[in-house]
Amino acid sequence: MYGSASTHDIPTQATTGLENEDPILLAEFEARIARGEKIEPTDWMPQLYRKQLTRMIEQHAHSEIIGSLPEGTWITRAPGFRRKMAQMAKVQDEVGHAQLLYSAAETLGKTREQMLSDLINGKSKYSNVFNYPTPTWADSNVISWLIDAGAIVNQMANAKGSYGPYCRALDRICAEEAFHLKYGHDAVVHMATGTPIQRKMMQEALNRWWPAIMTFFGPSDKMSTHTEILMRWKVKMATNDACRQQFLDMYVPKILEIGLTLPDANLRKNEDGVWEFSEPDWEDFKRVINGDGPCNAERIAVRRAAEENGAWVRRAMQQPKAQYVRPLA
Amino acid sequence: MLFSLDPRISRLELPESAPAPPDKAALDQFPTYEVFHQRKENTAYVYVGPVHAPEADVAFLFGKEQFSRRFPCTGMWVVPTEAIRVTEYGDDQQSVYDRLPLLPADVLAATDAAVTEAYDIFHLKKRGKAHTHVGQVQATSPEAALQAAKAAFGDQRPVVNVWVIRSTDLLRSDEADRDMWTTTPDKKYREAIAYKVQDRIDRFKQEG
Repeated sequence: MYGSASTHDIPTQATTGLENEDPILLAEFEARIARGEKIEPTDWMPQLYRKQLTRMIEQHAHSEIIGSLPEGTWITRAPGFRRKMAQMAKVQDEVGHAQLLYSAAETLGKTREQMLSDLINGKSKYSNVFNYPTPTWADSNVISWLIDAGAIVNQMANAKGSYGPYCRALDRICAEEAFHLKYGHDAVVHMATGTPIQRKMMQEALNRWWPAIMTFFGPSDKMSTHTEILMRWKVKMATNDACRQQFLDMYVPKILEIGLTLPDANLRKNEDGVWEFSEPDWEDFKRVINGDGPCNAERIAVRRAAEENGAWVRRAMQQPKAQYVRPLA
Repeated sequence: MLFSLDPRISRLELPESAPAPPDKAALDQFPTYEVFHQRKENTAYVYVGPVHAPEADVAFLFGKEQFSRRFPCTGMWVVPTEAIRVTEYGDDQQSVYDRLPLLPADVLAATDAAVTEAYDIFHLKKRGKAHTHVGQVQATSPEAALQAAKAAFGDQRPVVNVWVIRSTDLLRSDEADRDMWTTTPDKKYREAIAYKVQDRIDRFKQEG
């Protein structure tokens, strides 16, 4: 799941640096993408392409790791054996996705050690929705269904992007997501069509999560020079707004049909078929993503503890003669 | 102490804030191995991705967990990344064999005289897809193996990229252990098809 649908820190004003690139190589690179061919790790690529893809794939990987925490916390308290097994399988998938994505990012030149360091040192971002807590089982179900659904919208688009290793990883990830989405839907429907207490619990969880879900795809795109170039290079495959509209189109009806309501009085589809909604609180979004959310400290602390607790195992298995070679594809 | 809604996390007694740990040392995450799997009996092995591991046996375990956990698999190979000889990448629709420099005659002649070894050859047919095993050749060096591969498989087109691996560098799953691949059918709960929710939605709507 969890391709944080928008990449945080896309530079908006800074120069693209394209004037420093070799014009002939750049033309060949763009021609390759224009005729639908993928870029492979040893190909020449502009600095901006490498930098932006590294940041995007790395953030995606971090989001998988951190995103598994709010659901992982419910494994021990899942209602019943069947749900527990499924929740475990899902969390295991998410962590597996992180492994695939770290490797894809690594082919661009940033080592896995550096990416993991940047996560636990707070230098790298991950999807902001995971800075919020899952106080009940129903909250975990909302993540399983709707956050995954949002991520799938984004990942299906990105799987058609131009970078070979990322496409290979996403093909595998998307195949596994099919289970997550169905599992999440099943869990939400079970609660929403259950007893009055279950219904109430699910409705309250949805109310808590809806504002975060509306920020999941990131702020409205300003068509900056960067956005335009990144879309031409097939790094960014759809605008944030397009992804959000697609998500609302697919999932609002499914939410309403099981008798749940959405906590936004302005949410409606206008005559042009475009969804209107209350603008999310982007100031709050900024505050949380920069560290001041309800769970930022806990997420990083838990990740750090896992790193520290595993250090002796890694030390014991070190091979003194090992040499670093970048993965090939 | 960090308070969490999850009592297991509170019990870790983690500090509210702590100084950033030092950056990880190089190779803290181990070197990489590349993994190939066979999805069905009697089909070609296909590249699935890298894993980080301290040695080949562990790489095999990680590869099995990562790449055979959710999909049918009947065999797996792993190889250290550094043991793969990679050609340049061509365009889609081309063959990189066409651009292969010819080895000097004396090198090729030496090929016949010296003791040969087996090399496994993998082709990438299209950018963004995965390298697929096409067969083995006998040669005295990776360079000579590439020439032999051109002779044996050069008529296959397109070939965007070729990987040459000395066969003894590949760790392969053993035929005798094939029952290790038969665990997946028990775990229906992690398949999308196990969740049939429409009945419940319809019933809910009828009861309105």
